[in-house]
Amino acid sequence: MGVIKGVLKEELENSLRMKREYEKALKELLKGCLAQKEIRGHKYYYLVKRVGKKVKYVYKGKLSKEEINKHNEAKVLRAKYRKLLSRVKKQIRFLRGAIRGKESI
Amino acid sequence: MEKNQYKLCLEVLRRFNKAGILDGMILIGSWLLYFYKDYFKKTPYIDIATLRTRDIDFLVPLSIKIKKTIDVPELLKDLGFVTDFKGSKGYIKLDHPDLILEFLVPEKGRGSDEPYKLPQLGMNAVSLRFLSFLIDNVIRVKVEDFYINVPHPANFALHKLIIFQRRAREYKALKDKSTAIEILKALSNKGEGRIIKKTLDSISEKWRKKIIKGLEGEEEIKLLLDS
Repeated sequence: MGVIKGVLKEELENSLRMKREYEKALKELLKGCLAQKEIRGHKYYYLVKRVGKKVKYVYKGKLSKEEINKHNEAKVLRAKYRKLLSRVKKQIRFLRGAIRGKESI
Repeated sequence: MEKNQYKLCLEVLRRFNKAGILDGMILIGSWLLYFYKDYFKKTPYIDIATLRTRDIDFLVPLSIKIKKTIDVPELLKDLGFVTDFKGSKGYIKLDHPDLILEFLVPEKGRGSDEPYKLPQLGMNAVSLRFLSFLIDNVIRVKVEDFYINVPHPANFALHKLIIFQRRAREYKALKDKSTAIEILKALSNKGEGRIIKKTLDSISEKWRKKIIKGLEGEEEIKLLLDS
């Protein structure tokens, strides 16, 4: 195998591994997103999540700052991981195409 | 891609520097060639000709002293790095579509296939043979407003000439060998042939023979013998 193809093949293996990792990391993140409602000066929270095709609001009541931060952090990470996962998928498509030929380069 | 990679690489270095752990480590792997560009400022240099992978490796000397414990995976989490536990032994790699970060330590004695624990970094490392040779002569390269430790190019090139002969994958061996040759040529062009010779003379007979054997039949062997 040529050097370039060898490197590309290794990078493809890396990208496939990363795809699995990002999918796993996304699964492990806290599900849903917090929605806040203010009633008579008090803040109450609902966890908004998808169940099948429906969007459900689950009442959580008053939450500690720590818990709110956890949800917010999960939200930011989820967006980041999704973006990176999409990039990894593009890399996989590109790398698969690049090493398809029979030439040893 | 290249631009993103470079930006991310710099951000990792910046964070390591701010956390106070960069000084204790040595940057190795193909990324190192990028940071040699200043060393070879006035010499035709090879970085553009080098096929660089996403791996960025940090060599951690066994004598490292870090005052404060830093959780490296946590430090880089918001950049999108995810932790991968490689193989049944659980070697830790930090993965990102643009960079793959790994820690290495020099192998001691008979060696072990168990990961070397680095609790002060929240990581573990792969022990590899011959890495101590890279620690023997370290230079400092300025990046932005801080410095990184890198092995002297002569040590790096000669190390590559040892390990390419041990590579299981042929393309990796070819890549290592051509990188070593290009660095030796750049050193020679810079007028540092004597440093190559001095470095070669400083190592054991066994390793020296191995290095010379690695360039047997190549025109570039004169870079080792005639310098």
